[in-house]
Amino acid sequence: MSLTLSLDFQYKTTLEKLWSALTDSSKLAKWVCNIQTGEPMENDFKPVVGHRFQFRTQPTEYWDGVVEGEVLIVDEPNRLSYTWGSGGEKHTVVWTLQDLGDGKVNLHLEQSGISNEQALGGAKYGWSKWCSELEKALA
Amino acid sequence: MNENENENNQSRDVFDAVADPTRRRLIELLAGAEELPLHELTAQFQMGRTAVSKHLTILKEAGLVLDRKVGRETRFRLNAAPLREIQDWVAFYSKFWRANLLRLNQLLEEEAE
Repeated sequence: MSLTLSLDFQYKTTLEKLWSALTDSSKLAKWVCNIQTGEPMENDFKPVVGHRFQFRTQPTEYWDGVVEGEVLIVDEPNRLSYTWGSGGEKHTVVWTLQDLGDGKVNLHLEQSGISNEQALGGAKYGWSKWCSELEKALA
Repeated sequence: MNENENENNQSRDVFDAVADPTRRRLIELLAGAEELPLHELTAQFQMGRTAVSKHLTILKEAGLVLDRKVGRETRFRLNAAPLREIQDWVAFYSKFWRANLLRLNQLLEEEAE
């Protein structure tokens, strides 16, 4: 396990199209869904640093269905970051897009559970080593 | 305070508790031993016992560390259960993004047609 969720996906597309899918509100609404219901989530996202946005879905008994965030980094078409807060937790999401040539683009996602800068700085220190220790502790 | 009270009295966010390198080191040390007294923990750091003790208090508040008095010394041990919270959100968001990024793949394929 890791304190930072890290995922890589490869798409047959262009940097520009992938960037647009990640930043255009109407496109986001086509793929960001509530995975429990499969319903698309409404959003008012804008790729503007400092912009505060929401993703919304039907509330349930356990969740008000609202994700709130603030855009932190807009480095078109390579890097996008925002906070992602929901249910009393605040995470930081960072998307990194990389052109692999041959019409392929790698999309890297990092989501960390610790949102302030100082904590992230601390997190870099011995993070991976610490995570393996953590696995032992959880075993 | 007995152990049950300790476990149920989680007043601090577990993410907050593990955000500091000293506290992560303390967790590592405690993960490698059944139980350790304060002076043995302090010996591993450049800081004094008061500072180490403060970090242990934060870990206690997050339910990550339990302590008990044995004679004149306090011994500390790890309670790893709250770390599950960290594991749980990783699992949730891993599922969330995997499902949605597959959907994104369909969207991009449709656009390409």
